[in-house]
Parts: sequence; C-alpha cells; structure tokens
Amino acid sequence: MSKSSSKGGFTKEEELLLQDFSRNVSTKSSALFYGNAFIVSAVPIWLFWRIHMMDIYSSLILFIGVTAASTYLLAMAYRNTKFTLKHKIAIKREEAVTRDLLKKLSDDKKMSKKEKDERILWQKNEVADFEATTYSIFHNNALFLTIVILASFYFLRSLTPAVNYTLSIGTASGLLALLSTGSN
Amino acid sequence: MSKIFVLPVLLTFLVGFGSACSNPQVTSKSFTTKDATIVSHIGFISEITVKCTTGVLSSLYAELEDGSIIPVAVVAPETFQVSWIEESKSARSGQRLIRIFDEEGYTALRKAIRNNEPTGSVPEFFSVYVHHSGAYNGPWVKSEFIAVVLSILVSQFALTTKSKIVS
Repeated sequence: MSKSSSKGGFTKEEELLLQDFSRNVSTKSSALFYGNAFIVSAVPIWLFWRIHMMDIYSSLILFIGVTAASTYLLAMAYRNTKFTLKHKIAIKREEAVTRDLLKKLSDDKKMSKKEKDERILWQKNEVADFEATTYSIFHNNALFLTIVILASFYFLRSLTPAVNYTLSIGTASGLLALLSTGSN
Repeated sequence: MSKIFVLPVLLTFLVGFGSACSNPQVTSKSFTTKDATIVSHIGFISEITVKCTTGVLSSLYAELEDGSIIPVAVVAPETFQVSWIEESKSARSGQRLIRIFDEEGYTALRKAIRNNEPTGSVPEFFSVYVHHSGAYNGPWVKSEFIAVVLSILVSQFALTTKSKIVS
C-alpha cells in the first residue's frame, strides 16, 4: 500500500476513481439539489394560485404535500441524471484538464508523477462534478416546467384546479424521476 | 264650472298628442362594447334626443342594417333609446346607419314588407349613425402558448445538449 492509503484500504487514487463512479452525492451537492428542487416545485403554486384561481389557504395542505413529494422526486432525478452524466463529462474533459494542469505543474519539479496524476484525477472529478450538477439541474428544471405548463394549460385544463395541480406536478416530477433512472 | 275648466285642458291634450312632430332637431350619442374578452355579444346603444318645433312624438321604430325593425324605448321626455346586440365574432367595426320611423312611417314600412317591396323606398323620419370602433378580443397569441413554446425550446436545447454529452 502506498503512503496515501486510507482507513478503508483504498489508495487516494482509488478513492477518487470510486468517487467518479459513485452515485452518492456530497452534502453540499445534496443541499443544492434539494434547495433547487424545492424552489422549482414551489413555483407552480403561484401559477395555480393566480392563474388557475386556487384558494391558497384552503389548498395549503395540498400545496405542501405535493411540493414535498415533488421536491423529493426532483432531487432524485437530479441525482440520477448527475450520476449518468458525470462519468461521460469526465471522459470528455479529461484531455483538456490534463493539458491545463500539466502546463500549470510543469514548473514544479519536486512533484512526483503519481502526485500529478492524482491532482489531474481530482481536478477532472471536480470539473465533471460541477458540470454534471449544474447541467442536471438545468435539464430537469427545463423538462419539469415544460411538462407542468403543457399539462396544466392544455391536457388537464378541463379538470378542477386542485386535480389539475396534483396531476400536473405529480406527472412532471414522477416522469422525470422515472426517466432519470434510465442509463441514457 | 268644472266642466268649463276640464274641456280646454282635454282639447289641448288631444290636439297636442295627435299632432305630428314637425321640423325635428335630432342629436344622438352612442355607446358600443369596447372589451369583448369575457363577453360573447357586443352591445350597441344609441340615445337620441328629438326636439320638435310643434307636436310631440309618441312612439318611434328603428330599422337596423340587417333589416330588423325594433321599437325605440322612451327613456325621458324627448329622449329615446335604441339598443341591440350582435355576436362579437360577426360584429364589424365602423358606422351603422339606423333609420328611425314614426307611427306613420312604420305603417308604410309594414305595408312595404307585406307587399314584398324594398323597405329602402319608404322615407324614414330621420336617421342616426352608430359608430363601433371595434372591440378588444384579447391578445392574438395567448400568454400560455408563448410560455409553452419558450419552455419547449429550452427543453429541446437541454435534450440535445444531453444527447451530445452522452454520445
């Protein structure tokens, strides 16, 4: 084992590689996902309150329930999409990250090749993580709002606002969570 | 004594009621529905004030452009009102000529209709114009349609970007 081995018996490089393929997200990422999912799930309340004329006080329980469920499903969709994309992005950015980092580290003669590789791997992981997170949020938000607007204004417009709200938000978040479990 | 007092009053009333309005001075103002976003029909109202040099008008009739004849309502002394509705989809904007007939003219009009003669040949008592400037039917493109189109464009961009990354 190398000097950088951790408690679990993995080297730092192995840990970074595992992180690359891991479905787990950091607390910061999780907070970002849940925060975003909550905002996007809560935005349609305005639409149903002001446009579809739902009474905000009498429908408060419905709003809270549906928003909570939608937040959970959207956060799940964000996580899954991020997982699908992260590795692909890492492969795409590998060359550029390596080139960039090698240019920066070219002056540092003391650093070993192994350390440099670890740095590159870490940097690649960071770049891929950031890109996958932001892209996952953008992708799911865009689809969620499109499905909500289409469903509420066209497909379910004949239904009562409460049913319309529940179904359109439920369908949008449920569909995204389901689609995100696919490999592509 | 009372008979002597009542007779002239009765005579005056009969003469006044019976005599036709001569040299009428007509002024009119009109109102039409301007906002048709939540209504299906456009209302047209024309208020006509007729001042006669001698005589009074008891009742008037209006012939609309579509040929229908409707009674004119008396809303105040010397003030009349004619009103009708048209479907907002078919109500064109512009001037509408309303021909007004008194009792005599109305009788001639009925006679012409009975004889299948053109009513245009019957001289009207006077005519007024009602101007309809057109009603607002809401925006050409509904806002939700714009929202849908924009969100579809953004989603399309998101999907193509994803397929580029995945490929």
